[in-house]
Amino acid sequence: MSKGKGRICIVDDDEAVRESLRVLLFSAGYQSCQFESADAFLAEPSRPEVDAYLLDFRMPGTDGMTLHKQLVDEGCHVPVIFITGHGDIPLAVTAIQRGAADFLTKPFEDRELLEKIENAVRQFRALQSELDEIEAARVRLDELTPRERDVLDLIVQGHSNKQAAAHLNISPRTVEIHRARVMEKTGADSVATLVRMAGLLDQDKQ
Amino acid sequence: MEQQENSTDQNEPLDAILDAAVDAMVISDEQGRILRFNRAAQGLFGYTEEDMAGRNVTALMPEPDRGRHAQYMSRYLSGGTPAIIGLGREVTGLHASGKTMPMHLSVGEIRGSGEARFVAIIRDLSEAKATEKEVRELETHLAHADRLVVLGELTAGIAHEINQPLTAIAAFADAGARLIGSRHPEAQEELEAICRRVSEQARRAGDVVSRLRRLARKGAIAKSAHDIEELVGNVLLLFGHELKSSGVDLVTEFEPNLPLMHLDEIQIQQVIVNLIKNSIDSLNAAGSTQPRVKVRVQISGSQVDILVSDNGPGVPGEQRTHLFEPFYTTKPHGVGLGLSICKNIAVAHGGNLSYEPSQSGGALFRLSLPLAYIG
Repeated sequence: MSKGKGRICIVDDDEAVRESLRVLLFSAGYQSCQFESADAFLAEPSRPEVDAYLLDFRMPGTDGMTLHKQLVDEGCHVPVIFITGHGDIPLAVTAIQRGAADFLTKPFEDRELLEKIENAVRQFRALQSELDEIEAARVRLDELTPRERDVLDLIVQGHSNKQAAAHLNISPRTVEIHRARVMEKTGADSVATLVRMAGLLDQDKQ
Repeated sequence: MEQQENSTDQNEPLDAILDAAVDAMVISDEQGRILRFNRAAQGLFGYTEEDMAGRNVTALMPEPDRGRHAQYMSRYLSGGTPAIIGLGREVTGLHASGKTMPMHLSVGEIRGSGEARFVAIIRDLSEAKATEKEVRELETHLAHADRLVVLGELTAGIAHEINQPLTAIAAFADAGARLIGSRHPEAQEELEAICRRVSEQARRAGDVVSRLRRLARKGAIAKSAHDIEELVGNVLLLFGHELKSSGVDLVTEFEPNLPLMHLDEIQIQQVIVNLIKNSIDSLNAAGSTQPRVKVRVQISGSQVDILVSDNGPGVPGEQRTHLFEPFYTTKPHGVGLGLSICKNIAVAHGGNLSYEPSQSGGALFRLSLPLAYIG
């Protein structure tokens, strides 16, 4: 995720189309980076930090569809918008089924493109902050001892200290100590926050 | 022993032969006065023998030959070079109705005692000429129809070649509209670049259209000097999308310092378009891995060879002999005229189109054109 309005990665083998996309995005306040082929993109040692991809379907060498699959396989969540010729609609539909965010038909209207980019960037950033939160929760919960984890599980299920103590066959006093350690380690200010954290991780596992 | 010239008895077999002849025969004396005008001549020129007896042969010629005839005759009789006598050539004749007609004329001298006499044998070429013209017209029609068929098959690709610059133009212009009045420090610079790019891309689209229009145009063969590398390059531009969508790799090799060639640009492009299209179709049908088409232009001896080869399955042995025959096709929707028209075009250029297996076992078509013209 980048700062500002957003940064878009353009992969298209037609120099004029590529440059016109760059300048159009520039005029709307976006930054961009461009690649003349999927192969040139893949040859880079690391993936660019961007909020969306604009990919051409047909390129010499690796095509757009294959590049999309590669990104998905790498666990990339950055939304991909395809730019297609008129004849490529069935291909675009397949791409959407495989998780592409959207597609545009050439020639496109600037409003249409910018709307799709804006949506993609917004969704990506929302997803990204959620993922960041999950990651933070995971890091914190990972610090718990197995016993503390047991106590946490029972608390988020709605058990009282007493009930938890009975479940774990320990004294309520010990449960209280564990509970205080859990709150401290996770930085949660309430049971509600704890529930949300645990919920995020469960969601992520599914 | 001398025979008396006008003896009817003696001339009887000669008269019979003259009148039986299919070709028109006119016998005249040194002054060009007509002595005999056979039946075929009467039919051809629309005069009776009576009409013509004693008249000058120039009555059968339109100007300028009519005016020059006396000069030809006196030059021949004084031992000069003959214009027609002893030779044959195509001339124009004048019918009684005033119409002119193409004809083949050969004149021989009848040697004997006394004054020289001449026999002119004339064959009407009107029909042959008309047929020839019809065949030429038909060939032009067919060649045009074939170009339209090939262009039809390339439509998707050509549409893409036009759509690309249009996409860029639209996006550039939209960006420009947003940047006008922008306070961004780079806005002015971007705006200037945008204007240049818009006009450049409009020309790019226009170039595709004009190349297309030239190929779609109908016309008789018109040769002029062309850079063969540029000509091939223009053809390849029409294939951009076709190659991309079929995943075929196209390589070109041009021998350096190729001379200008005297040829009909459209027709030679048509041959190259057909050959490349055939290669792509065959590679697609065969599902070749790493499909490749190679276009190589080289000088070999007194000709320039344009070689179009591929790494597909090639043409099976039994099909090779029929390859250039009209209406022979192995394609499900093919008409089978492409290659026969291409061969005609090559031959009309004094060259040839032939097939041989390529080194990789694929197809190799060799379009040879004479290197007669060096510009």
